Order: sequence, then C-alpha cells, then structure tokens
Amino acid sequence: MPTPAASLPVTVIAGYLGAGKTTLVNRLLRHPAGRRLVVLVNDFGELAIDAELIEAEAADMLTLANGCVCCSLGGGLTNALVTVLDMESRPDHLVIEASGVARPARIANIARAEPDLALDAVVTLVDAENFPRQLADPRLADSLTDQVAAADLLLVNKADLVSEQDLAVLKARLRAINESSPVTTCVAAAVPVDAVLGGAGIFRDSDRAPAHGHEHEHEDGYRRWAYQSADPFDRDKLKQALADFPDAVLRVKGVVYLSDRAAPVAVHRVGSRVTLADLPAAPTPGRTSRLVAIGHRPGFDPARLTRLVEDALAT
Amino acid sequence: MSETKIVAARKIITMDADQPEATHVAVRDGRILAVGALEDVSGWGDFPLDDRFADKVLMPGFVEGHCHLMAGGMWRFLYIGFHDRVDPDGKSWPGVATIEAVLERMQQADAELPAGEPLVAWGFDPIFLMERRPDKRDFDRVSATRPIAVMHSNFHLMTVNSAALALANYTADLEVDGIARGEDGAPNGELREVAAMFPVMRRLGIDFRALGRSPECLLAFGQVCKRAGVTTAADLINDLPDEDVADLLRVTAGDDYPVRIATMLNAMTQTAVETGRRALALSERSTDKLILGGVKIVTDGSIQGFTARLRWPGYYNGAPNGIWNVAPEQLNGIVAELLDKGVAMHIHVNGDEAIQVAIDALEAGLRKHAAPDHRTVLQHCQMADRAQFEKMKKLGLCANLFANHLFFFGDQHAALTIGPDRARRLDACRTALDLGVPMTIHSDAPVTPLGPLTTAWAAVNRLTASGRVLGEAERISVEEALRAITLGAAYTLHLDHKVGSIEVGKFADFTVLEADPLAVDPGELRDIPVWGTVLGGRVHPV
Repeated sequence: MPTPAASLPVTVIAGYLGAGKTTLVNRLLRHPAGRRLVVLVNDFGELAIDAELIEAEAADMLTLANGCVCCSLGGGLTNALVTVLDMESRPDHLVIEASGVARPARIANIARAEPDLALDAVVTLVDAENFPRQLADPRLADSLTDQVAAADLLLVNKADLVSEQDLAVLKARLRAINESSPVTTCVAAAVPVDAVLGGAGIFRDSDRAPAHGHEHEHEDGYRRWAYQSADPFDRDKLKQALADFPDAVLRVKGVVYLSDRAAPVAVHRVGSRVTLADLPAAPTPGRTSRLVAIGHRPGFDPARLTRLVEDALAT
Repeated sequence: MSETKIVAARKIITMDADQPEATHVAVRDGRILAVGALEDVSGWGDFPLDDRFADKVLMPGFVEGHCHLMAGGMWRFLYIGFHDRVDPDGKSWPGVATIEAVLERMQQADAELPAGEPLVAWGFDPIFLMERRPDKRDFDRVSATRPIAVMHSNFHLMTVNSAALALANYTADLEVDGIARGEDGAPNGELREVAAMFPVMRRLGIDFRALGRSPECLLAFGQVCKRAGVTTAADLINDLPDEDVADLLRVTAGDDYPVRIATMLNAMTQTAVETGRRALALSERSTDKLILGGVKIVTDGSIQGFTARLRWPGYYNGAPNGIWNVAPEQLNGIVAELLDKGVAMHIHVNGDEAIQVAIDALEAGLRKHAAPDHRTVLQHCQMADRAQFEKMKKLGLCANLFANHLFFFGDQHAALTIGPDRARRLDACRTALDLGVPMTIHSDAPVTPLGPLTTAWAAVNRLTASGRVLGEAERISVEEALRAITLGAAYTLHLDHKVGSIEVGKFADFTVLEADPLAVDPGELRDIPVWGTVLGGRVHPV
C-alpha cells in the first residue's frame, strides 16, 4: 500500500469566473517556495506567462525555468491526471484550476479516491465585488454555493473594491454557507503560497524555530508561528489541540513524533480539517517535532497556539 | 468511377416532394443522374440495368445526426446489456435479463481471455435485472484473480470485482463519495462517477476516448453504420488532434469505407477565438467522406444521471440540480464569437434550464452578429417546452431530439427523474414539427444502439421499455420520422444539398430495406431488416 507520504498532494483552486483563479495560479507558478508544482489549467492563453520564464513548450504542456510544469486540461481531467501520475520525476504538488462552474468537491473526490493522490485542500476564491450578484442568479446559485461549501479555505479577492460594511456582509453570507473554514481577504489574489498550498515536510530556513515557539509578521501582512519540541505529543490531544486553533489560522503543518509511534507523523490542518498521516522514516534528525502555522490578524495569537500544543505533549 | 448504371428497385422512397416515389435511379460518378420510372431515367443513354434490388425498397441513405465513433470500438469489450445488439462483425448479442445469464456470458469470456488481461464489460443495466442489484461477490464468481470491471449502460457507474478493488486499494472504507459500501461496511464493488471509477480505470488501462480513435475502431464504426443502414454519421465530439484527422482522412478515403463522417470539434478545450480558427481551418480539409468544420459545445449533463440543468421545480425525486460544463456567460461569449465566424455549432442541452441558456445565448449573439442560415443545433434538447420551440423557430435553431430515450429511459423519466407530466412532452417531436423547427432524431450511440429505424420507431410509437405510451400527443407519423432520419438530419449538418434525399445531383447514397417502411405496421418499423447500403454508387451488403 502506498504510504500517504508517497502520494502527490492535490490542491483544487475553485471559484467563479473573474474571482482570480488564474491570478492566483500565476502567483504560485512564479513563487512556488521551493516546490516543484504541476498546475492543470483550462487555458494556457489566460495565464500569460512571460516568455523568458518558459523553458519548454509543447501542445499541452509548458515547462518553466523554475521546474514548475503547466498542463492543459483540454484532453479532460482524467487524461491530464494520468499524464501527471506517469511523469518520470514526480512533482511535489499538484494544483488543479477548476473551471468557473466546476463542483470542486467532485475534483477533490478524485484525489481522495486515487491512492497515488492525496487531497491537500480545496481553496475557493470569491469575487468580493460581484459574488452577491452572481449568487442571486438562480442558474448559478447552487454551483457557487457548492464551491463555497466545499472550500477548506475561502479567499475573498478584490477586497479593495468594496466597503468594509459590504465585506462584513459578504463574510457573513459565506459563513452561513460554510461555517467551519477560515475566510481571508486579499487583493489581486496576493496570499502567501504557504497558506494556499500545504505539503508537510517542507521547511524553509525562515521556519526554523526556537524551542518555545515564536511568531513573526512578514511584510505581506500575514503572521507566522513556529514551534518545536523534543518531547513527543499525545495523538488524541494533538488532534484536539489543532481542532481548537482559531479561525484566523489558515494552515498548520508539521512533522511530529507521537508517544505511540517510533516513526514521525505528518500533521496538516487546513481550514478545520486535521489530518495525521504516518511517515515511513524520519525526515528530520533526532526526534524533534516541528509545527508551523500561518494566519491573519485579528485572532492569530501565537501565545495561545503555543499553549494549546504544549498542553498536547505526552506526559 | 465514370461508369453509369440504372438501379431498379421495388420501390424508391425519395424524400423529394416533387416525386415521392420512384422505381429507378441512374447513377454516374457516384452521384444521382436521374430518378423516376425506367423511361424517365433511360434518356441519358443505354446503360446496364442493375436489378438486384428488384424486390427491395430503397431509401435515401440514413443520416445519424448524433452518435460517437466509439460505437465501433466499444465492442472490444464484452456486451452484457439487457437489449439485443449486433456487433460490427454481424454477430448477434441477445440481451441478458438475469444475473445468471450475465455471469454465464462473463464466465465464457473469462475462459477465452489470456491470463493477465482484465475483463471489461459494458452495457450493464441492473434496473432490468429484477432479482437484486449484483455486486462484487457476483463478479468474484467469474474470477477471483482477474480484475473485472463492468461499465453500466449510462457510463456513470461501474461494478468491479474484489481483484479490481484491491488494485485500486479500495479494501476498507475510504469515506469517498461514490465508493458504495456493503452491509459489512467494506466497498461492495459499485463505483459511481468519475472520482470513484478513475483509480480502477487507470490501473486497468480503460480509456473510452481511445475507443473512437484508432483506425481499427474507425473501421468497426463503419461496419456498425452499414448494418444500421447509415451512410452519413455525425460524430458529436472530437478533440481532432492532427494525427487523428490524418487517420480519419485516410480511413474514410478507402473505397470500401461505407460511411461519410461529419465530426464536430470539441469547443470546450480552447478559447472561442481559437475554436473558431481551428474549425475554419479544419473545414478546408473536408472531403466527400469526411466533413470537418462543425463544433460541439456541452452545457449540462444527462437527465438520467441527474446532471442535466432543470428549471423549477427541478428533479421529481428531489435530487439537487445538475451541473454546468460551461457557465452561461461563457456560453454567450463562445456563441457570439462562432456566430460571427460562421462556424456551425452543436450545443448539448438536456434540461430545460440549459435549453433556455442556449436560446438566450443565441438571441444575444444574433443581436450582435448577422449569421444567416446558421442552423445552430440544440442536441438532445429533451425537455424543451412549447415556448422554447417557438423561440427556437424565431432564432433559426434546429432540434436534434433524443427519441431513443423514450424507449430506453422513458419509464425512469416518468417515475424518477422528471415525473409523468414533463416525461409526456420529453423529446417533443410533434411540437417541433408543428412549429416548424427543423428537426431530426438520434441514438447517441453507443449510449443507445445505432439504428435510425429504431429511432424512427421510438418517435412514432413513443413506447417505453415497459410498454406504456409516453405522451401520445407528441407522436409523429412514419413519413415524418423517415424524413427526420434522412433529410432532417442532413439539414442539421448543412449537408441537405448533398445527401438526405434521392434527387438529381446528390450522392448516390441509399439504404436498402427488405420491406417498405410506409407499408408495415408502425409498431414494426424497427423490425425491418436492413439489406445493406449504397454509398456513392458502391454497394455494401450487410
């Protein structure tokens, strides 16, 4: 049986026309933060990738200088998935840009069913300015509601185009459709890649944390928290602690050691969904557990996060 | 071919209002030189008389307005459906009506299949197997070691055996929608929709799209057409990469190849501008036997799969509304662009909401661009009501109605999907004709079997599989149905100047029948044997 760690993480980018999916995909391709991404898109033309970034170009595949690959969904999603899964060197992460009327839950279901894929998250973009009007269209209402309901992470894009009051009303409407997943606002789909894409086991130097947790705020306005411990966690307590993280936390990821297991476990929380997946071998030296989180103000209280996970250490 | 000959028949049904019936047709260079009585056609000279059809009835070659090339390739897999079918080689496959009969046929196939190959079957329809719904345990009896995948007739479900479940690692409950569970909580073998089926299909190498692509599949498709009396067939979606166009050109060019194929470019995989450009470029490569340049746009799904887009009050059983493959505003953009470029469009619409969205897109597009004689076809168009047909007439739209659904799925539509009232007006052929909407009827083969006489029978009788009449008021006459499967379909393909009737100047494409469809009981229309076809003057006996 393939271990979850060997499966290719899949993030589905959903949202109606004009919500900013292509802008977000473009951002991910330019700044993949060390990941080798494969992105499945409906149309290359709309991506408008600068020619100098393109290393190779085929009828239905673009290879970028940074190693990322962009495939056309022209031949159908399943054919594209077969192509990706048969690639000689498996990418780190697969991003699927859903069509404007796609039901992302259907796409996510493929990632859940296919042993060689693992669902990372459904990220749904919402057009702050036009969503209320789109939702009022009876031909679209159910599709848009599905897109919001299926999201692990909701990105309200073009937030600069509406008033604070309208934004609050919109967020309440989204909350009514999806009560558990975090909602964050952005402009031009500018959201840190680590919030959009999970993938445990990827730790950059900036995430190296002192022993007792710390936090820092980047120039992008998002806040980070990092924690490490030499003591193992209690499995059930850790799950509960992560479930208790506040809404302002968009993602948590890490590799941790548990008191009931010698090998480490990949931890992943996106939206309100927590997954613990057994890893085959120790990717980090020693038995040091590491956790990182990213989130937004207000409500991102690093001291509280540290407190929550420290209470989950095995005693 | 420069030879000229006169063909005599017991009766020739021409579909030409000026001369509905004839007994002789003169053929030269693959085209019709003259039609009428012997003395009418003899004036062109003294030519050999071919009287092998002296006791047969000739009709214009049937035109299937909506099917798929994989109707030929499907036969690579084992047929285990409820209804009788005939394969490309002429072998008859009687329908199997009990679980035991299904398993017996599969066991026989299993015994003949080399080790290591999966057993793949298609056409399965458990609703007709009254006993119970088969699951993995049944197919485990066929083989405990060979992976088995049984595709259901609607292509949205499959049932697999334990060996196939193990390949996909479906050994315990994965809590994935579509992986059905048995009483013990473990997957029972039934897999619904793409997500659940994908891991099995990938590992067994099942690729339905490929079944419409290889030269062998194209040849098989030609045989399927010939047996059904079809001389022109529309392949209603194709990505048409260059290598496939080359194969199509080469295969159809063969003198022995018995059918003209009109194939529609998939308009969903590139921008509308690019679709228009490709369609026009492809159009330039058309031959007499391969007609390129039309495009296919898919809006919603299927009614029986609950993926069609319905207006209020929605599905009869309360199922949520279906899915869009293209957003209404995107459709507006595609339609406007292709109207402007003069590209012939075929728009898949099943539910009445999708039909309305397509009508609205045409109306908006036609306000922007004058598109004389565009003949955009609403394909399936099953739930259109009278007001929608009125609008279609005004906008110059054609309807290709899925008459076979009345028989194959009519009972389900009345009981489950849309209820008895809307089912009565399903595929409203009478309304379309009364309002003057150019119409044809189709099989969507391999979804239902290719066979224009069966499709005509379905539109004339409107009988369901259980034998009830579904919407008597929407019945059409035999004459009207025969017109639909010839000239009617040709019109929707912009081919009515070349095929669809037996008139001077058109291709000498005939369907040769053993009985006169205008003389038999309308209930027996589908039972008339097809002797064979004539394509461009060349005889293709079954």
